[in-house]
Amino acid sequence: MKSKMRIAVPNKGRLKQPTIDVLRRSGIKILEPERVYDSETSSPRFRVCFMRAFDIPLYVQHGAADLGFTGHDIIVERDAEVLELLDVGFGRCNLVVAVPKNSQIRTIDDIADVPRVATEYPNTTRRFFASNGKQVEILTVRGATELAPRLGLAEIIVDVTTTGETLSKNNLRQVAVILESSCRFVCNKIAYRTYEQEVEELIDRLKGGR
Amino acid sequence: MPGELGNQRYIEEKLRKSFTLWGYEEVSSPTIEYLETLSTDLGSELAQSMFKFQDFDGRMLALRPEMTTPVARMITTRMFSAPEPIRLFYVSNVFRYSRSYVERGREFRQAGVELVGSGSDRADGEVISLLALSLRELGLVELRLDLGHAGLFKEIQKSARLDPEKEPIFRTLIGRRDRVELEKFMSRNDFSWDLKRLVLELCETRKLGEAASALESRSVFRKAKKFAKSLSSVADILSDYHLEDEVYFDFSLTGRIEYYTGIAFEASVPGFGFAIGGGGRYDDLIWKLGEIRIPAVGFAIEIEKCLQALRSQGSELSIIPDDALRVLVSSTSNERAVETAGLLRESGVVAITDVADRTAKNLLEYGKLAKMNYIVIAESDRKKPLFIHDVRSGMKKRLQVKGFLQEIFRSPDR
Repeated sequence: MKSKMRIAVPNKGRLKQPTIDVLRRSGIKILEPERVYDSETSSPRFRVCFMRAFDIPLYVQHGAADLGFTGHDIIVERDAEVLELLDVGFGRCNLVVAVPKNSQIRTIDDIADVPRVATEYPNTTRRFFASNGKQVEILTVRGATELAPRLGLAEIIVDVTTTGETLSKNNLRQVAVILESSCRFVCNKIAYRTYEQEVEELIDRLKGGR
Repeated sequence: MPGELGNQRYIEEKLRKSFTLWGYEEVSSPTIEYLETLSTDLGSELAQSMFKFQDFDGRMLALRPEMTTPVARMITTRMFSAPEPIRLFYVSNVFRYSRSYVERGREFRQAGVELVGSGSDRADGEVISLLALSLRELGLVELRLDLGHAGLFKEIQKSARLDPEKEPIFRTLIGRRDRVELEKFMSRNDFSWDLKRLVLELCETRKLGEAASALESRSVFRKAKKFAKSLSSVADILSDYHLEDEVYFDFSLTGRIEYYTGIAFEASVPGFGFAIGGGGRYDDLIWKLGEIRIPAVGFAIEIEKCLQALRSQGSELSIIPDDALRVLVSSTSNERAVETAGLLRESGVVAITDVADRTAKNLLEYGKLAKMNYIVIAESDRKKPLFIHDVRSGMKKRLQVKGFLQEIFRSPDR
């Protein structure tokens, strides 16, 4: 008898509810209240565990969770070697470079000296500016990135946006898209080998439940 | 830590023994070398992960990030006239810098082999089998090997006339098993219908034989039939080693190291999220190092990963049979303590002299904590028998050294 596979599900944020919903539509109902981090499901083959979406690539790469749902932006930022088996469709967003509306910067090319960039995505940000030949100072923040320019912490931010509304409300303007993202169904490489057939069946059900 | 080091040594010794029994000879190479000699054809990712620094005259040096290049260079420079094929192995530390959140280590122990001077399918089969059998010998169960083909992958890229700048994307999509994006990518880049079907079939199939028949039936490029023949011949050879049920085809294994030219493979066990070891065929590397064309195939096993995988399988990891007797020797006369300890050591007993001038009571306490079997107190008069305290049973005796040795070697649990 093979052991149960563990699915990592975001414990808060915009990916949480859609993930729970798509699992339910695929026949996997979470049985325990979510303050239990590790929960049984209606399926005899799967357990779920709740954790921060940002940590999911890490757990899955290590095989601590076999499967998971997390944003493509986070997988790229974490530089995780996991299998991205399916674009689940929800959680679409862009990781963008934004500046205050009155900034002189219109495009990345306009960046002259070494500006400060506030972001929750330091790795992706570093790679993006380096590949564009721009030197920047990266300040890593944990949330409320839009606030940084207003308080003078940074001249530029790199953050995710879905509609651009939050940017606009905070008097910010998008100057470049670094990455288009959405929620992905991910799998540990070795777990895929071990459970290929079951994982593929779940993918088919997830496709139906999208 | 002593215990962990013991486990590591145990694994390394077992691997050494397996490799030696298959006729491989051990080599070692310098930890530090000139950067350019280490970075030939490594692929950008591994080259970036090297620790680099300057020599006193300004030349760039680096710590070796892997062992295949140093071993290959050894062959081109110093084993020029050795009869081929040459079978070599190493057990070494390698150094890599990693930005990844996951791999935080900087120094890794690796044990590996290189079979140099044969390009045959039998050579491929031998190396794959040696990897499987030596890992099995360590006690790993439910082991599986997954085998891809870098040469086949490169040939497909060539026949699709893929823009070299897009090659990394193609490789990533196959490595990630992102079928939807892969299909879109191939359509965007004008892959022929047959070639697309072939790539998708290769991504789906898990049996070497099936991969071979896919290539046979869709011979969309010139060498397809040759690859088909070679894959099915490797499959046959593996079944000679009774490994047909442990080896799978996995086209997503396109390899992070760009120097592979033929098969590329990886070993793993269920429930442990990383590959334990892997390798492949690298027929061009030696040419790039020494301008002589010598085909070669090899693998490396990650020792730490082996240990973790064994632990994840619940294997007893106090694997070192700790059967050496440990005796604590004390005397008011140092000369007597040293002499007694010497006699015990000659008979293969671990003898530790007390250098802390402990009282009898303290000796006993320390002896228990330090897992001694016996505490021996020698009187300064050589004629007098030793005072012997069996730590486990609490029995006390007076015996001469000879009698003591007879007694412990007669004891039934020895």
